[in-house]
Amino acid sequence: MTAVLTFSPRRDCAAPPGSSSLLRSGVEGRLQQDRDWETLLARANDGDGAAFACFLRAVTPSLRTVIRRRGDGLPPDQHEDVLQEVLLAIHLKRQTWQRNAPVRPWLYALARYKVVDAFRRRGAVVTLPIEDFADVLPEENAAVPLSGRDAEAMLGLIDGRSAMLVRAVALDGKSAEEAGKAVGLSAGAARVALHRAMRRLSDFAERTMK
Amino acid sequence: MTERRTTEDLIRQLAASPAPAPFHPVAAVGGMLAQLALGLGLFLLVFGLRTDLVVAWAHVPVQAKTILPVLLSLVAIRLALRSSVPGGRVALWPLTLPVALAGLLLVHRLVVADGSLLAEAIGQTALACLVSITLLALLPLAAGIFFLRRTAPTQPVLTGALLGLAAGSGVAAGYALHCTEDSPLFFVLWYGLGIGAVGGIGAALGHRFLRW
Repeated sequence: MTAVLTFSPRRDCAAPPGSSSLLRSGVEGRLQQDRDWETLLARANDGDGAAFACFLRAVTPSLRTVIRRRGDGLPPDQHEDVLQEVLLAIHLKRQTWQRNAPVRPWLYALARYKVVDAFRRRGAVVTLPIEDFADVLPEENAAVPLSGRDAEAMLGLIDGRSAMLVRAVALDGKSAEEAGKAVGLSAGAARVALHRAMRRLSDFAERTMK
Repeated sequence: MTERRTTEDLIRQLAASPAPAPFHPVAAVGGMLAQLALGLGLFLLVFGLRTDLVVAWAHVPVQAKTILPVLLSLVAIRLALRSSVPGGRVALWPLTLPVALAGLLLVHRLVVADGSLLAEAIGQTALACLVSITLLALLPLAAGIFFLRRTAPTQPVLTGALLGLAAGSGVAAGYALHCTEDSPLFFVLWYGLGIGAVGGIGAALGHRFLRW
């Protein structure tokens, strides 16, 4: 959250003439802000990239608020991903804003659609940090994705330390403790690293099979 | 910390990329109309206008058979375009206007009817009517979906359904110039079913292709 507070992006975004950021409060300030946003977006749609950057930076805090309010069920680290999806959507759909129309309802409707969509897609996946399960994870020496002569080729696809772990546990039949010690990891950390490596290998295997 | 930087990176990257091409509603409607005219033109060329069109046009139900679908089509396309912009307010009640007028015709016919209502409603060409309207509407509907993919409908199913209604009723208005069944019992029922079917197809296409 401190990241949000220290984020001061408007350094290179000069406010359009006639606006004063000191007066940004109450109805008057909000109207002025709307006019600023509309000016920026109109210039952006005419091809002014700098104005578009300013527009995106200006609306980001409001979008963060919307996302935080909606995103109770999601870990905060995914909020930033959702924010980026909304920013991308603003870019792709910015020409649907009509110049004589107020920008705020357009922006919020777009953001709401995108945020709901993003959360719905993530909703199916319960995301919990895997480190919490270090002690209960199975050792995974069943070696599903590794079979026969493909094993070494597959291991070449992942980083060296993970490859060593997988080789030790899945191919040589060592325990996670032993394998972890060899590369300087505790048993729990080794299990986590191993779990991740196996999942990556499964993904690779699945992709190459298609 | 890294997250903040990637968002700022994204903003820079988006600002550096060219603005997307603007969406022209006129082009979208024009594209739909072109497909509509193409299909209907071929259809009428092959199957012909009704031979007694000039004489029959004096009767209110015959006029209504073309005018009410045109009205519905205009309302539907207008609402479809409005629903394709985030934050636009979409009031669906104008759709009920042509439907209510059709209902009036129907009731009037029921009151003064003579003979078998069922035979009159089923008519001679129900299947041809249903199939023609549905098939001829597919091209303009596809064109509408294609053009509106560039827009940002926050209710894609609704937007698709409205496009379907617009295409279906547009086709029905032209088909009416061929069709010789002038009883409101027939055309309100079968045109309505055809237009509704195209609306349903539009809703499905909207769900599939208009999400973004």
